[in-house]
Amino acid sequence: MKARLIFGKERTSEPIIASVILRTKAPINILRAEVDEGTGEVLVEVPDDKAESAISAFKQMGVDVHVGWFIEILREKCIDCGHCITVCPVEAISTQSDLTVEIDQDKCVNCGVCVDACPTRAIKLSE
Amino acid sequence: MKSIRTIDQINEKISKGTINVVTAEEMTEIVKSNGIEVAAKDVDIVTTGTFGAMCSSGLFLNFGHADPPIKMEHVNLNGVEAYHGNAAVDVYLGVTKMHPERKFDYGGGHVIEDLVAGKEIELDATAYGTDCYPRKSVKTTFTLQDVNQAILCNPRNAYQKYNAATNGRDDVIYTYMGKLLPNYSNASYSGAGELNPLTNDPDYETIGVGTRIFLGGGIGYVTGHGTQHDPTNKFGTIMTQGDLKQMDPKFLRGATYTNYGTSMYVGLGIPIPILNEGLAKKTSISDEEIKTNLLDYGIPRRGRPSLKETDYAELKSGKLRLKEREIPAQSLSSLKIAREVASTLKKWIDDGKFLLASPTQRLSMTEVCRPMKITKEAVFAQNVMIPTVTCNIDEDTETVARRIIEKNVNHIVVVDEDDILKGIVTSFDITKAVAKKEEKLSNVVTRQVVTASPEEPIDSCVRKLKKYDISALPVVDSDKKILGIVTSEHISRLLGE
Repeated sequence: MKARLIFGKERTSEPIIASVILRTKAPINILRAEVDEGTGEVLVEVPDDKAESAISAFKQMGVDVHVGWFIEILREKCIDCGHCITVCPVEAISTQSDLTVEIDQDKCVNCGVCVDACPTRAIKLSE
Repeated sequence: MKSIRTIDQINEKISKGTINVVTAEEMTEIVKSNGIEVAAKDVDIVTTGTFGAMCSSGLFLNFGHADPPIKMEHVNLNGVEAYHGNAAVDVYLGVTKMHPERKFDYGGGHVIEDLVAGKEIELDATAYGTDCYPRKSVKTTFTLQDVNQAILCNPRNAYQKYNAATNGRDDVIYTYMGKLLPNYSNASYSGAGELNPLTNDPDYETIGVGTRIFLGGGIGYVTGHGTQHDPTNKFGTIMTQGDLKQMDPKFLRGATYTNYGTSMYVGLGIPIPILNEGLAKKTSISDEEIKTNLLDYGIPRRGRPSLKETDYAELKSGKLRLKEREIPAQSLSSLKIAREVASTLKKWIDDGKFLLASPTQRLSMTEVCRPMKITKEAVFAQNVMIPTVTCNIDEDTETVARRIIEKNVNHIVVVDEDDILKGIVTSFDITKAVAKKEEKLSNVVTRQVVTASPEEPIDSCVRKLKKYDISALPVVDSDKKILGIVTSEHISRLLGE
């Protein structure tokens, strides 16, 4: 499963992800990370069988953990133009044979680059 | 060209239910397999369609008179300002007019979409009051059914074809061609290629004043050639009009271009009667045959350079070859809905609900689209840049500090032996370095430098200075060779003169 980790200012200098990996033995995959001096936001993928222990380990270390966030295409607004496809950094969006635009949740890293590219505001970060 | 059928004969067949109508995509296939002669004999009408953002669109509304009556001076519809330079209660709402607070998220196009969807719209109007129209303000709500007329009237629709867009700058730009990633990393285009209305009748043999069309899900008319009509370059346009009360929100949608503006997607389809074999050939045009140019929208000038010639087959493939790379390319218009436009129009004709109209006048074939007449020339980076003071990366900070004092400048550009830009240091960077006893210039230099090209308009340079919160832009050629520097100090001084 995917989890969004939000680090506070006091946590950005600590090796939290490495500590959690060592403690839980969960092979955590970092999909996206934005860290600066002030805050950090990291999207990680944790195998489902280790999800519970890894998430509680992150929480114990003072990390804000959000699960269940995903990028969604609002079908009633989408006109299937496909502009979002060109800005996606991980090729998670594609057109089907009937030209319908679809998003592959397994590939999506919730970066949100497509959100402000959509001319009908049909892409939303949902929980 | 020998006539094989007339519009009257076509309309007779529509009324009898014996018409043979196909879409432009189907026609391309039919001609490919059966040849032009057979296709011309078999097919009576080819339907076309497009669904793209058409900024030159808008709506005339007449609200009827209030009691006491008002001659409206300022009019807002759901907070979006409408143009009121007409009679007392007539207004024109343009699709690119934005809501003052909601900006790119809501504009005239969205108000029109809401109206067509049957939603209530808030009307807020004020006036100065006259002897015959004493009322000074009115606030009310209305739906599409409450107004006398709602006439969609679009000065420029359905470009014959359009340029494709990409971005050579080193930052993301937001344009009317969408979000363009840095360093030619994506491309966008508009139009439905072989399904496009004017592309299928490029000499405007059957499309003219009075042609009956599919407009926004209802019936509309071509009222003449559109603004910026440019037939000799195959960039023709049409002006259209139609009754909004018949239209469908599926085919009229508000559009949002972040950091650019609002617009409206318009579904537009034109039936092309196959009056002769020439029209059978023209309507068989395929995406490969429709050429267009890929332009660098990173260059903020009217004449953007073409990076390559492409065609709609390559664009629609989703991948565009650019030098050694392949970049993702997608449309900003919707081919899926364009197909629905063409097939809906086909069905209307098949069902006997839509008859063709003979144009009363043909569109201009000779009109030229000229640039704006300018009485005062614009200023570009090369006109305001000043000579740069340079150094190389191996010099120490103290030497550079001395040069700053000697030359009385705030920016020193770091170059290599061929004058190629390598970085920049400011007087503040050097002051800090000297105070900290940092001798190595390489430890204080900024290597990611925002630059300008010599042909860049000064307004664009000012936008960059503001966007990146910096005080100078080195001016470089395409090889990053330093030509000069534009500084905010110098620009302020020029403005003061």
